[in-house]
Amino acid sequence: MKNSFVERPRSFCALGGALLAASALPGVVPVIHAAMGCGGSIYWNQYGSTGYLGAGYCGGLAVPSSNIQESDIVFGGLDRLEEQLKSTVEIMEGELYVVLTGCTPDIIGDDIDSLVRDFASRGVPVVGAQTGGFRGDGRAGYDIVMTALVETFVARRSAKVKNKVNLLGLAPGQDAFFRGSLLQLRSLLEALGLTVNSFFTVKDTLENVRQSGDAELNVVVSEFFGQAAADAYERTHGVPSLRLPPPVGPAATEAFLRAVSERLDMPGRVTEGLLAEEKRRYYAYVERVADAVNDLDWQRNAVVVGDANYAPALTAFLADDLGWLPRLTVVTTPLEEDGEARVQAFINRSRAGELTKVVYETDPSEVARHFWNIAPRRHDGLHRQSFSPAFVLGSHLERQFAADIGADHLTVTAPVGNRVVMSRGYAGFEGGLTLMEDILTVLAFQR
Amino acid sequence: MSHLDAPTAPRREDRLGACIEFGGGVGEIREPFCQGCLKNRRRLFSQGTICQLLPAIAILTSLKDTVVVVHGAVGCGGAAHALGANVRLGQWRSGDKNPRGALWISTNLSERDVTTGGEERLREAIVEADRRHRPEAIVILSACVPGIIGDDIEGVARDLKNRVGAALLPVHCEGFKTKIMATAYDAIFHSFLRNLIDGRDESEFPVWDDEGARAREAIRRKRLVNLMNVSSMTGPDLAELRRLLGKLGLEANVIPCDVDPEAFRRAPLASLSVGVCPTHDDYFMSRLLEKFGVPYVCSRMPIGIENTGVWLRAVAGKTGTDHLVEGVVKAEEAELELALAPLRPKLLGKKVMLSAGEVRTLATANMCAELGLEVLAVRPYHYDQFGEPEVERLGKVAPGARLNVATAQPFEAVNILRRVEPDLYIGHNSDNVWAAKCGPAVLPIYGSNFVYSGYAGVFEVARRAVMHLANSSFNQNLAKNVRQPYRRDWYAQDPFKYIKDGGRAA
Repeated sequence: MKNSFVERPRSFCALGGALLAASALPGVVPVIHAAMGCGGSIYWNQYGSTGYLGAGYCGGLAVPSSNIQESDIVFGGLDRLEEQLKSTVEIMEGELYVVLTGCTPDIIGDDIDSLVRDFASRGVPVVGAQTGGFRGDGRAGYDIVMTALVETFVARRSAKVKNKVNLLGLAPGQDAFFRGSLLQLRSLLEALGLTVNSFFTVKDTLENVRQSGDAELNVVVSEFFGQAAADAYERTHGVPSLRLPPPVGPAATEAFLRAVSERLDMPGRVTEGLLAEEKRRYYAYVERVADAVNDLDWQRNAVVVGDANYAPALTAFLADDLGWLPRLTVVTTPLEEDGEARVQAFINRSRAGELTKVVYETDPSEVARHFWNIAPRRHDGLHRQSFSPAFVLGSHLERQFAADIGADHLTVTAPVGNRVVMSRGYAGFEGGLTLMEDILTVLAFQR
Repeated sequence: MSHLDAPTAPRREDRLGACIEFGGGVGEIREPFCQGCLKNRRRLFSQGTICQLLPAIAILTSLKDTVVVVHGAVGCGGAAHALGANVRLGQWRSGDKNPRGALWISTNLSERDVTTGGEERLREAIVEADRRHRPEAIVILSACVPGIIGDDIEGVARDLKNRVGAALLPVHCEGFKTKIMATAYDAIFHSFLRNLIDGRDESEFPVWDDEGARAREAIRRKRLVNLMNVSSMTGPDLAELRRLLGKLGLEANVIPCDVDPEAFRRAPLASLSVGVCPTHDDYFMSRLLEKFGVPYVCSRMPIGIENTGVWLRAVAGKTGTDHLVEGVVKAEEAELELALAPLRPKLLGKKVMLSAGEVRTLATANMCAELGLEVLAVRPYHYDQFGEPEVERLGKVAPGARLNVATAQPFEAVNILRRVEPDLYIGHNSDNVWAAKCGPAVLPIYGSNFVYSGYAGVFEVARRAVMHLANSSFNQNLAKNVRQPYRRDWYAQDPFKYIKDGGRAA
């Protein structure tokens, strides 16, 4: 995959991903050391791409920022940051302050580490991370800030607590449904008998994050997000990790729960009991929409467009649970070759393997080109092989494409600007129901 | 020497002595501003805010048939995801029923590019944008990183001039260069005046060889004025201003937002440029006069009853329509008063606080006074000579009002809010939530699909203020159930305690 310019990037810069993660942690006051517009720019990106995930406790335009100017770039920005940190602690109430850098101080080489250590030695709860935007996209930023937390904030514990896990891999804002999905996975793991730290849900506290070093296992629900943070847990606290794809719907969630319980040697009857109960519940709802699905012929050909985490998981859900025909899966995250192989391997484990073509493409306006490659316009006379009836599961940037090919459309992947996302999530059995409900509502809406 | 001889426009700090740090009474800013004391101030505590890149993205991505190449790290164009909603609405309104929204490309500068330079990536992006989209214009918008590593975007534009079909428009908007985000307007107009507006006149081409057509065109041009729209103006705002100009028999060539680049090329042919906001339009209109001899009017922002009248009379004075204007103003004001009559009692004496861009905030504050509201505090995002007339007016109708010059900085806003406890807060997008958490009714000061300008705007703002005042339980509940991130003792301190004289500690 090319690593050059990107049309309408669907993610954030490293600072953006890190800032969204920091401001999603309970009680955290982020402090950015950057030019004056970085805070506003990230907030406006967030405004248009995260399902209206607002500023929260101390995000948006409330984020303290050094707002460095040309003179700071000439003479160095550390004096300004020191002044800003001092005044921030005076005025802002944070259980933890997280200093994040933007491009400009990273280029001129401001040494924030020694400044942060200096404040920490005076009893200020503070960590710092270098997150200059050029260091990568939002995924990188999530990993950098989580790594910094794991290395310097999470307390060292010698003994491990049996059946305690940390849940990583769903990045705040970059997955608009992160709160609902994390909560759903948390509930499932708790039902297995585990104690869970999930960082960003309403059930999490900063104290639990601090005490997360004695977990028995990190469950990383992503092949691509959170690996660096998991590695830091392993390195610093000796917590191993289990990396699994994000489970959307009953088929994937069953595999997910079996994998976790096997890894932790949970008693089989608990797992089987939970699976049976969840499936009973899932199908109790599915049973009653089955009339419409069959009467109204709600099967569709589908195009899925999303990041490397979501696109394969959604594709598998459509194929394995909904009985649809995913034909094109557009993965929008730039990946190395082994990443592409992992995506394909995941798809191949699903029924989708024999249905969909996976392509790697960052640019929204190029999605149509890939589509016409798999669905060439043909003139077969009276009986035409067409892609209809069609559905596009993607971001709000795919609306134009969907209309062009006469498909229905639902925004699920980033950027999510035409939906409001509060507590709903798409992970687990419950998430599968929610996703089915949302997709079928698009079809029912026209009746 | 003209400003246009230089590749970049001057900073507003240098050209106008503009500032973003002041707190005091509405009557207390004139003296320190005139003595030049405000431009060297700074804050010891500050919050992340808006740099010049962001309004530039708002304006430039709204242009039709144009691709914006944001030259910087991958996040720098991201604001367009939010701003694109307005762009999409604009395209929909002009008849495109499957609008694509904002179209931009990030050069996605990496760690390696920071060391080796990003010009090659920029070239690739421009050539590919031209090949894929065949646009009329490609804007090269420079963010912070190229400004530090020294990429020559003007040079890249020169090199590629004959390799691409689009007009190439380099715009310098490095966020660290200026504290005044309104410098963006100058940066854009500067480039467009240098690289796009060439003063060519189609009527001199042979295809026009028809005396009748020439005569009709000459008459049309006499009535043609450039109407400057700002990106915070909505479709209904523009419709209202067109309606008012129509009453004087004038036709509008609208620039810069939501239009084809060709609209800029037509600008020298108009008989007059009509500004709607001196902060936004002054640089462009005065340069257009200098280069092409097009006169301009740049009086008040047509927000409020008095201002709309002043604005219309100024236009009439330069278009030979004085004989029409008094009748128009009289009839419009009479009709407006009839409509306002049932609303006025509900607004009388309600306390209001405002926060947003310089001229819009101050003009809206004066409109609030016209509607009988009591203006307690007003927070323009910056301050310079263009704010002076409105501050002077406000000093007469609300002498006790507090004035806080700050680009957002909600920590100062909430401190003032706790003191003045307004019934209504009228503020800027993305800044409003911090006021909302204090409990008052909130009316956005621009945007969405509502009208704020002209006589229709006065009525609409009054009508919606009454709606918000009728039930602000959403924000009252919010105030009861969520906490602000400030220490409790902050509210007892001087809200302006972190504003200091003197430049940065070096």
